[in-house]
Amino acid sequence: MLKKDLILRNPLRLLGAETDEVLPPGGFGAVVARAGVGKTALMVQLALNSLLRDRNVLHISLDDPVGKVTLWYEEVFRSLADQYDNAQINRLRDSILSHRFIMTFQVEGFSVPKLTERLTDLTEQGIFTPRMMLIDGLPFDEQVRPMLTELKELARQQDLHVWLSVRSHRHEEPGPEGLPAQLAAMADLFEAAIALQPEGKQIHIRALKGGSANMEKSQLFLDPSSMLIKKK
Amino acid sequence: MKHDIRKVRNIGISAHIDSGKTTLTERILYYTNRIHAIHDVKGKDGVGATMDSMELEKERGITIASAATFCQWNNHEINIIDTPGHVDFTIEVERSLRVLDGAILVLCAVGGVQSQSITVDQQMKRYEVPCVAFVNKCDRSGANPLRVVAKLKEKLGHNAVAMQLPIGLEADFEGVIDLVKMKALYFDGDNGEKIREEPIPDHLVDDALEKREELLDAASMFSDDLMEAVLEEGDIDPELILSAVRAGTLTRQITPVFMGSAYKNKAVQPLLDAVVDLLPCPLDVKNEALDTSDDERPVVLEADESKPLVALAFKLEDGQYGQLTYLRVYQGKLAKGDTVINVRNGKKIKIGRVVRMHADQMEDIPAIYAGYIGALFGVDCASGDTFVSPGLSLTMTSMFVPEPVISLAIVPKDNKSQINMSKALNRFSKEDPTFRTYMDEETNETIIEGMGELHLEVYVERMRREYNAEVTTGQPRVAYRETITRRAEFNYTHKKQTGGAGQFGRIAGYLEPVTDEEFVFDNRITGGAIPTQFIPACEKGFRQCLAKGPMIEYPVTGVRVVIDDGAAHSVDSSEMAFQAAARGAFLEAYPKAAPVIHEPIMKVVVETPTEFQGAVMGSLNQRRGIIVGTQDEGVSCAIEAQVPLAEMFGYSTALRSLTQGKAQFTMEFAHYKQVPQSVAEELKKKKAEEKKHVA
Repeated sequence: MLKKDLILRNPLRLLGAETDEVLPPGGFGAVVARAGVGKTALMVQLALNSLLRDRNVLHISLDDPVGKVTLWYEEVFRSLADQYDNAQINRLRDSILSHRFIMTFQVEGFSVPKLTERLTDLTEQGIFTPRMMLIDGLPFDEQVRPMLTELKELARQQDLHVWLSVRSHRHEEPGPEGLPAQLAAMADLFEAAIALQPEGKQIHIRALKGGSANMEKSQLFLDPSSMLIKKK
Repeated sequence: MKHDIRKVRNIGISAHIDSGKTTLTERILYYTNRIHAIHDVKGKDGVGATMDSMELEKERGITIASAATFCQWNNHEINIIDTPGHVDFTIEVERSLRVLDGAILVLCAVGGVQSQSITVDQQMKRYEVPCVAFVNKCDRSGANPLRVVAKLKEKLGHNAVAMQLPIGLEADFEGVIDLVKMKALYFDGDNGEKIREEPIPDHLVDDALEKREELLDAASMFSDDLMEAVLEEGDIDPELILSAVRAGTLTRQITPVFMGSAYKNKAVQPLLDAVVDLLPCPLDVKNEALDTSDDERPVVLEADESKPLVALAFKLEDGQYGQLTYLRVYQGKLAKGDTVINVRNGKKIKIGRVVRMHADQMEDIPAIYAGYIGALFGVDCASGDTFVSPGLSLTMTSMFVPEPVISLAIVPKDNKSQINMSKALNRFSKEDPTFRTYMDEETNETIIEGMGELHLEVYVERMRREYNAEVTTGQPRVAYRETITRRAEFNYTHKKQTGGAGQFGRIAGYLEPVTDEEFVFDNRITGGAIPTQFIPACEKGFRQCLAKGPMIEYPVTGVRVVIDDGAAHSVDSSEMAFQAAARGAFLEAYPKAAPVIHEPIMKVVVETPTEFQGAVMGSLNQRRGIIVGTQDEGVSCAIEAQVPLAEMFGYSTALRSLTQGKAQFTMEFAHYKQVPQSVAEELKKKKAEEKKHVA
C-alpha cells in the first residue's frame, strides 16, 4: 500500500519518535533557519507526514497566497512519490486533500482572536477540526510574546500540535542551547526546536531542543535540490 | 490604406460589470468622430449605445461577443476589441487577448478593484498585456480615485502611478490636473468636446506637486535621462516623462492611472492621448505561433509584410451579406485575390473582399497588413482558425479544446423556431469550439454541451433574441464518465444457429484501466485465431459499448482492451457476429473490472465580506466541496474550494441570499474525480427509474 510505504520511507521517522508526538498536545515546535534555507519545505513535510496518517493539518501562511502554499505541497508530494504510478498518486492526493486546510492572513491582520473565530467557524459546522497547526511567516519581534501566550492557550484547549517557522539572521549570535536570539527569549513556550544549518553543500537538520536521544545521533539533511529530507 | 505600423493600436477595454465600459467606448467613438451623437446605455431615446449590439449583454452585465471597432485619434489608428470577462467564456477570452496588444482597465471610483477586475487582471497578466487604468465615475457619490490607485497596488500588485489628480469629486467633479504638463484640464461644450487648459487651482498645487514627485520617482526607474533631469531639478520635458512611463508600461512594470467620468463627458480625451502615447504598437509586442509540424514548438512572428502570411480569425459575425470574419494579421499581408490555407482543415481559400469595420459601416480596402485588424467576406471558417501562406504550418491557437462538462436538452416551441434554432446552433458551434450540439437518438431531443451553466444559458438567450428561436430547456445534466479500476478477463462466444444463416465468433482477452487515453485497442492475436478481416469489427464492437456505459449510460473512458485469443467458423463468422461478440465480451468483463463513476470537479473561488465567511464555507461544505483554503484580505476574504459541478446548480442564488448579495464567485473546470459510493448508488437508482419510465 502506497500510503504505508510512504510513511515508512519518510526519513522524518528517523527523528526518533513519531514526529508530531515529539510535541505533547498543546505543544510548540519551532523550525529555525535563515531566509531561503527551507523552512517551508520542512514544514510541508511535517504536515504531509501527518496527512498520510489521516490527521488533519491546518496550514497558516502569513506570506504566501493559498495558490502558492498548494504548490509547495504539490511539489513535495510529487518528489516524495515519484516512483509510483500516476493513478495511485492521484488517488492518494485526493484522499489527503480533505485533511488539509490552508488559511492565509496578511501579517498585520493576523491575531489570535481572529484565528480563534475562524477556527470556530470551521469546527462548529463540522467542516474541519485540526490536529496539527503550522504557522509560517510569523515575525518574531518584541511584540510576539503576548500573541504566542494566547496561541499556547488556544493550542492547549484544542489539543493542537503547533509548529512555527522562525527566521534567524546571519549576524545574530545564537543564545543558550544554540537557540537564535528571538527564540531564546521565548524558549519556555517551546517544547521542541529544529534548526536547518547550511554546511558546505548540505543543509543539516539539527535538534536544538526536545526530541529523543535518537534524534541527536541521526544524521539528517535537507537535499538542497529537492528540499526533501534525506539520511546521510 | 496608409500603413505606418507604429501608428496602430489594437486595444481592449476590460472592466468589472457596471463600471461604465460601454459608456466609455461610446464616448471614445464620439470624440474620434466615428459616431455623431451620444446615446446612453439605458438611454431614454430608445437607441442604446453603439457598442451594445447585444441586448443580452446589458441585461446580464457581461460582454459575450468580442466585436472590433476602428477609430482614429491624433493620426493613430485604434482598433477597439471588446473582451468578455467571465470565465465561462475562456476560449473567447483567450482569443481576444491574443488579438490585442494593450488594454484599458476600467475601474469604478466607488467600487474600486472588484472581483471581476481581479479575474480580468489575471488574464492580462497571463498574456502579458500592458495596460493603463481608467478610474471612471469620479462624479458619483463616494468616489475616491486615489483609494483605487492604492487598491490597484495592494490587491492586484500593480505599480500603479496616478497620472492625473481630480479637481473636485462627486457632484463637484470639474476636471483633472495633468501631472505631466502640470495643467488643469476642463471639459466644456455640450458633450465635453472643448478642452480648456488652465493653471492649476491654488488649493491643489501642493497635492499636485506631491503626486508629480511620486510619478517622477516611479518613471525615472525606466529612463536614465529622466533620472538626470530630475536630479538637476530644472524643467522637465513632458515627452521625456511620457517615454519613461511608456517604457515601464510596455514591460508591465508601471500601470499609469487616469481618471474621469465618461458619463459626464469628462477626461476621456486625455485617456485617448494615453492610448496613443503609452500603449504598445504591434511592433512592441512579441507574438508567437505554434508549429504543428514540430510538436507545437513556439515560433516568433515578425510584423513584416514581406514575410509569409500568418493571420488569426478571432470573430465571426452574421451580416446581411453573409458571414463576416474578423481577423488579425500577425505576419505578412492578406490581399484581395490571394490564396491562403486554413491550417485547421488544410483547405485552400481564395480571398474575395477585404474590408475594415467602423462600428456598423464598412470600407473596402485592398489588403490587411501585419499588425492590422480587418474582415473578410464569404469565407467559410470557424473562429480561432489560422490562415497562412501555402507551405507554412503555423497555428495561432493550440488545437487543444477542453471537453464540455455540462449538457442541456432543448426543444423548439414551434416549427419556425426549429428552423431558426438549427441556424443558431450551427453558428454558435462554429464560433465557439467548447460549445457543441448533437441529437440524442433515444429521446429525439437536441442536446447542447458547454463549459458551465452560464455558458449554456447565454446561448439559449442568444437563440431567443438574435434568431427568434423560442426553446424550452430541460434540467442541466452533468457530463459524468464511467471508467474501470482493475483488470478483468473475458472469454465470450457469440453463437446463434436458429433459422437462417448462423452467427459465430469467440473473443478472449482482458480489459484494463489506462490513464491519459480514452480508449486503446490492442490486438495480440497470433496464429489467426480470429481472421484479420474481423479484427476491425471487434474494435468497432468495443467502441460501441464505450459510448454508453453499462452503469449509468455515460461514456466509458480510460479503457484498454487487449484481445489475445478467439475462434471463428468458416461459414458462420461474419463482421456482425464479431461485433456482437465484442459487445458480449465487454459486458461480461465490465462488472468484474470494478467500474466507477467520475464527475467533473470545479475550482470555485468565492469572494465575500469576512462576516459571511463561516456561512459561505458551510454552504460549500454542504455541496460536497473540499475547501482548499481561505485568504484573508482585511475586510474581505477569498475562499477557494473544489466542488462537484453537480452540486453547483443554482449556487449563485444561494450565495446571494446567504450574503445579502455581497459575495461573488467564479468557477472553472478543474478535473474529473470519482464520485463517492453513496452518490454513485443514487445515480444508478435514478438511471434505473428513468429507464422504467421510458419503458
